[in-house]
Amino acid sequence: MILVPITYKGGVFRHDEILDLIEDMGGYIIQKHMIAQEVVLQALVPKEDIDILKTVSRPLAGEVIPAPLVGTEIAVVSMSLEIHHLPHASCDVAEYLRTAGAKTNMIGLARGFGKRIGLLSDEERDIINEHDLAIYLFGNFETCIQQKMPTFRRGIKIPLVVCGGPSKETLMKVIDPPVAGYIGGMGRFMHRTKEPDELARLDEIVAEVTRVVDQRRTSIAKDPLSIAPARLMDVILESVPDIHEVTSPVPVVVQMDGIRVKLPYDPYAGRIKEVEIESGIKIADICDLRPSRMRDYILMKVKPFSETGMLV
Amino acid sequence: MSTLEYFEVDSTEPVGAKLYRRIASTVITDHNLLKVLDKIRIFIDPGVPIFVAVGITRTVPRTITVSDLAGVTFDENKITLSIADETYLADLLQILWRKYGKDRISQPDRFTIEIILDENESSGDIESLAVADPTEGLFKDLIYSMQVICPEGFRVKKQNFHEGRFWFVASENTLPEDVMPLVNEQFRIMEAAS
Repeated sequence: MILVPITYKGGVFRHDEILDLIEDMGGYIIQKHMIAQEVVLQALVPKEDIDILKTVSRPLAGEVIPAPLVGTEIAVVSMSLEIHHLPHASCDVAEYLRTAGAKTNMIGLARGFGKRIGLLSDEERDIINEHDLAIYLFGNFETCIQQKMPTFRRGIKIPLVVCGGPSKETLMKVIDPPVAGYIGGMGRFMHRTKEPDELARLDEIVAEVTRVVDQRRTSIAKDPLSIAPARLMDVILESVPDIHEVTSPVPVVVQMDGIRVKLPYDPYAGRIKEVEIESGIKIADICDLRPSRMRDYILMKVKPFSETGMLV
Repeated sequence: MSTLEYFEVDSTEPVGAKLYRRIASTVITDHNLLKVLDKIRIFIDPGVPIFVAVGITRTVPRTITVSDLAGVTFDENKITLSIADETYLADLLQILWRKYGKDRISQPDRFTIEIILDENESSGDIESLAVADPTEGLFKDLIYSMQVICPEGFRVKKQNFHEGRFWFVASENTLPEDVMPLVNEQFRIMEAAS
């Protein structure tokens, strides 16, 4: 069964029918937002059943949109949290990626500014590494990007997409060894992105990120995960009742190769490890649990088939 | 940016200069400095690195006096100020309290201030009493906006504002002892072009 990431937008009226339908089809609801009279669902739905979902949602004035980044957690790394980089461009990029279904976290570095003085602490590095992909929002000068890049890529194991003021070709030239993706003409600016060419550049970011994410999906598919992260999320939601007491809008974040559970590690990790997924298979058999560096959350990474010999 | 007589952002990297021109334009407009700026030139060399901004302001607004913001009426031993512009009211009250004492100043309503004079005390030249100096705020706004325009890593700064001419120099490294040659060169280019 191939699951396709989609966004559903519709009214509150009878939206529970859509929720039930997605679950009955064997799909997963990753995020659900209720904004006034509107419901926005980020979901993974079986490819062959999308037409059914569209048919059912039509009388409810619902809309089914492909959202390539559903089920990914992306770090948008801003060089600082000063007025120089906020709210534009950092928030604009983070917000636009959310429309494509990604769960974005903004990371403002403590000492990221400056070409010589810019630093990446070990905590920042570890938090970035917990994501599926990181977007670095650099400035407008190629000299600075060239000089600071080695510091900012040290120890980073996830794919990097670099945004900067110079053209894409210039970025490709100055960044050596190459990174996963580049977006030119998107450096530091202090106005809101609302002109067509700026929105086109944001679309370019989504396209570039999608390309990189697809590459990663392909490489994961070669050695599939023992359990789909979305299913693992469902297991946690069903078998750990305390997760429903968490006030965070997304208590379980689905990543490409795992999940982040927003419960404290010490009291809950042991309990979660013992949860049975299917006859005799416990979470500990197919997942690595470790404390996240983001607060005291639990980070679960699913082991691949080659390691466990199981597909749940 | 049409109201500026001269506005130029120059850099050793032309792409960066173009992008910084847009940043400077946004910041100057957002901080409402178009009215006070006449000419501005910014030069950035990320290789050194150095950021130099030089500029000339329009006629600087004069000192605000009591007569600018209030109507003054004199009674025998009472002065009544009818406030027309509340902007500097807080500053005015502070000054009056210092000069006459709080017990002799009353504010029966939002737009009226009464000053009780002692017998034989002259009203002085209350109408020309200085209340505020807008240039002080103007200088702060100007330098703040230059700090916002300048790349964030440029933390070592020097600035000056004198007789309508200002300059701001910033760098990531220590600045040279005497930055005047850098500043003067930018002033020279600006004045030659305009």
